[in-house]
Amino acid sequence: MGIKSFSRARAIHVMLVYTGGCNGCDIEIVNSILSPRFDAEQYKVFLTWNPREADVLVVTGPVTHLNRKPLEAIYEAIPEPKLVVAAGSCALMGGVYKNIHGDIPSEEIEGPVENIIPVAAKVPGCAVRPQDVLAGVVTLLPTLLDAD
Amino acid sequence: MEEKVPRSNIIETEIPMGTVHPAALEPYRVRLFVEDEVVQEAEITIGVNHRGIERIMEGLPVEKANALTEKICGICSNSHVWNSCRTAEIGLDIEIPERARYIRVIMGELERLHSHFLYLAHGCETVAHETFSMRVFYLREIVMELLAMIGGNRVQYGCPIIGGVRPRCDLDEAKLLRIKNDMDKIEEGLTGFAERFLADSILVSRVTGVGVLPAKQAIKLAVTGPSLRATGVARDLRTTMFEYEDFDFNVVTQPDGDVKSNLLMRVFESFEAIKIIRQAIANIPEGKVVNRDWEMFDTDIIESYIEVPRGTLYHSYALETGRIRHCIIRTPSMANIGAMQYACIGDHITDAQLSIVQCDPCFTCTDRAIEIIRR
Repeated sequence: MGIKSFSRARAIHVMLVYTGGCNGCDIEIVNSILSPRFDAEQYKVFLTWNPREADVLVVTGPVTHLNRKPLEAIYEAIPEPKLVVAAGSCALMGGVYKNIHGDIPSEEIEGPVENIIPVAAKVPGCAVRPQDVLAGVVTLLPTLLDAD
Repeated sequence: MEEKVPRSNIIETEIPMGTVHPAALEPYRVRLFVEDEVVQEAEITIGVNHRGIERIMEGLPVEKANALTEKICGICSNSHVWNSCRTAEIGLDIEIPERARYIRVIMGELERLHSHFLYLAHGCETVAHETFSMRVFYLREIVMELLAMIGGNRVQYGCPIIGGVRPRCDLDEAKLLRIKNDMDKIEEGLTGFAERFLADSILVSRVTGVGVLPAKQAIKLAVTGPSLRATGVARDLRTTMFEYEDFDFNVVTQPDGDVKSNLLMRVFESFEAIKIIRQAIANIPEGKVVNRDWEMFDTDIIESYIEVPRGTLYHSYALETGRIRHCIIRTPSMANIGAMQYACIGDHITDAQLSIVQCDPCFTCTDRAIEIIRR
C-alpha cells in the first residue's frame, strides 16, 4: 500500500446528491453515515457536502429534467479518483416516477443515473437499507484505493 | 409584537443559496436580499424536483394509486397512503373496523415521532450542536425499528389499504408489548434531551428570538401544523378527526413563534404522541383489521383532510370505473413556504438557514403541481 492509498483509506469522503426522489433514501443514507446506530464514521467514512473533497458520490433519485445539469456539474467538480454509487430503485431504473403506464417513460425524468454519469456500484431497495448503503460504499473502497 | 414589513425599494445585495446546499438535503433556491448583513427580503423557489406524480396517478386503479401516494414523500409516507385510502373510504362509504382505526392511529403517531425527531436532529445540526443532533438520531432509530417491525420497511410501510390496514401490519401481543416498552425508552430519552436542551444557556440564547413569526402573520399566510401552533394558535385537525375520538390528548401551543418555540413545540408534541400510542395500546379492540365488504361505484370529487406531522394534508380525487380522476394533493409545506420567507426577514444573514429550517420544510412532497416551462 502506497502512502497515497494509506492516507486516502483514512479519510473516505462521501457526498450525497439528491436528484428528485422521495427523500426516503437520502435520510437513510445520512442516517447510515451520521447516526450513532450505523455510524460509518468509525470506519473513517465521512459525509461531506463539498464536491472538491469528495471521493464517493452517492446519487439518489430518478434525476429530474432540472436536476441533470447540477448533477453533471457536481460530478465534474469531484477530483479524480471518483466513484459513483447509485442508491435506491429510482436511481437504478427510474422507480415509480419513470415507468408510468406500462412502457411509456415519463418526460420529466432524465434518469436512471447511468444515462448521465458512469455508475460504479448499485444499491437496490425502496428505500435503501442503511446496511446496504454501507456495503455498497465498502465494495468500492479497493477500487478507490488502488486507483493510482 | 410589531409586524415586519418587507421592503419595497430595490435592495442591491443579493445572496443566493442553492439549488444544492449543504444545510438542506433537498434542492431549493433561496434568494436573500441583504442590507448590512440583515435580511430585508427573502424568496424561496422550488420546482427543481418536479416528477408529476398526480399526473401519474391519473387513470390508475385506486388501489394502485394509493400505493403510489406513498412515494410522494419519504418522511410522511404513511400519512399519504392513509389520507388517500381515507378519501376513497369517504367516497364509497366504507366502514373501517375499530382495530384498524387504532392501528392507523398508532402508525400515524409513530410517524409523527420520527418526523419530529428528524426535525429536532436537523434543527440542532443547523445550530451546529452535533451532540444533541446525534442524541435525537439515536432516539429516532428506536422509532424507525418499530416502524420496520410493523410495516416491514424502514421508510415505505404500506400499512393502510382501502377498508382497513394490511393484514401483515396487524399487531399481536408481542408487538404491542415491544411498542409499549420502547415508548418508555423514548420518553426517558426525550425527557433527558429536553432537560439538557433547556439547561444549555448558550444554545437557548442562540435560538431565542430568531426567525420570529407572529400569530397574526401566520394566520394570514395560512401556515399549518406545528409551525402554526408554535405561534400560539391552538389549531389541530386531530381534534376533528373521527379516528382520534377515543383518545385524550392536548393541543400543545408555544407563545413566541421563534426557533426555540418551534423546537420545544416538537418536543412537547412528541410527548403527546407517546400518550396517544399508550392509550391505543391499552385499549386496542379485538376483531378483524380489514373490511373487504365494499363495492366500487362512480363518485363525485371526494376530499379529505388529515393532520400529518407537518400540518394539514389534503387529498382529493373522483372515482370513475374504479380509476382515479382529477387528482389533487396539497401538502403542508406548500403553505409553510410563506412562513419560511417571512421568518427570514429582519434577522442576521447567519440565522436565515435556521429560520427556514424552523418551519420544517419538505420540498420533496411539495414539488408536484408546478408548471415547468421549457425553453
